[in-house]
Amino acid sequence: MGLSRTPELARLETFLGKAAETKVTVTDFQPLPGGAVQENWRLDADFAGGAFAGRQELVLRTDAPAPIPSSHDRAKEFRIIQAVHARGIKAPEALWLCTDQSVLEKTFFIMRRLPGIAAGHRVVKDDTLGGGHDTLAEELAVELARIHALDPRSLGLDFLAEPRPSPALAAARDFRAYLDVHPDPRPVLEWGIAWLEREAPPKGSVVLCHRDFRTGNYLAGKDGLVAILDWEFANLGDPDSDIGWICARCWRFGAVEKVAGGIASREAFVRAYERASGRKVDRARIDYYEVMAHARWAIIALQQGQRHVSGREPSLELALTAHVVPELELEILRLTQEGA
Amino acid sequence: MRERPHGADLLAIARETLRRDVLPLVPDESRYTALMIANAMAIAARDAELGERAARDALQRLATLLGPTRAEDLRSLNKELIRRIRTGVFRPGTPEHAAIGRHLWECALQQVRVSNPKYLERLGLK
Repeated sequence: MGLSRTPELARLETFLGKAAETKVTVTDFQPLPGGAVQENWRLDADFAGGAFAGRQELVLRTDAPAPIPSSHDRAKEFRIIQAVHARGIKAPEALWLCTDQSVLEKTFFIMRRLPGIAAGHRVVKDDTLGGGHDTLAEELAVELARIHALDPRSLGLDFLAEPRPSPALAAARDFRAYLDVHPDPRPVLEWGIAWLEREAPPKGSVVLCHRDFRTGNYLAGKDGLVAILDWEFANLGDPDSDIGWICARCWRFGAVEKVAGGIASREAFVRAYERASGRKVDRARIDYYEVMAHARWAIIALQQGQRHVSGREPSLELALTAHVVPELELEILRLTQEGA
Repeated sequence: MRERPHGADLLAIARETLRRDVLPLVPDESRYTALMIANAMAIAARDAELGERAARDALQRLATLLGPTRAEDLRSLNKELIRRIRTGVFRPGTPEHAAIGRHLWECALQQVRVSNPKYLERLGLK
């Protein structure tokens, strides 16, 4: 399929040319599959000279038209990815940020495209990916432990905020604040939030958390984990919340018996994390953060659905996202035994 | 009088036709969209069949559980329930707490029957 030479494309070439100090010709530019709103674009370009001379395989990532309130904008995500990549974390290499709205009418950044499969349903079905599910789960646990071991103050990310009075109580408060502005009453979620407040664990260590660390958000290559993607939610938090998140039912893509991301048992994942981090993990805290994961995803799904319901952004995928909320609510009641 | 077939019925046959006659002809890059359309039609059909009844049941249970209140429709009753949850009047271990828990479980169950009944099958629920 031929690439249509739009003025947008010409502006993009000019931007890339200035960034790399050479002449740049884009040879492929198309949306990457997945995501309710196209945020990631496959971008191939020929660089005439300079440090990037030759054909470069890139990804262009833009701001969403109606972002989720708890997520960072592209400019901040760019800084996070650069900072963790510089510390040796398996993250994409982010090259250039463009905040000039005259190029694509929204902020975007460019990163190197990496090999591997991200789509959750493919990852859980194919036990050869990532060197096999056991290896993949082990490498994910190691990478998570490495992220948690970073000294957040050394990263130069001054916008990261410590949740107060504790990560758990701050999350419960934020969920409720959203429900205050959501047009429809959600008693089951309110019930779950009351449980989260009553059962909140004592504040533990506060570290850099990825906060969307799950199947679907990493690239699994032939032999192992390639990279952790989607850093837009990264912030300071309880390391156990990242473990609870990857264990939530919604990230198993049908492989429900494999609690950790549809690829491993929770115990196997937690043990690998313990070996890598040297930190003993209290399983009761993971139980707690699994409940929180379902509540948090329910809130995000409500927000996504609201983008459609409000009429701002009519979209079938967003509309259907609202319909996952009931099963998340059921899961919250099941896990807390607050129902039946 | 409404003309037969009614909405739920029409949606069901439209969805079956989409899956049987159209889906096999849909190119790969649009397959996911076609499946989303089929899914949305299935939810709409179940909503037409079960939605009102679920709301009526919830209203009845809630009116009994909350006792005399100025709230009358489901929306205001839910708001009143939320107000009480937030003020912490339901104490774990009390019969009131358990009764609200059962009510909410029933609400969630009825909504999942509309949104994703397969989820219940996998849990061994109906």
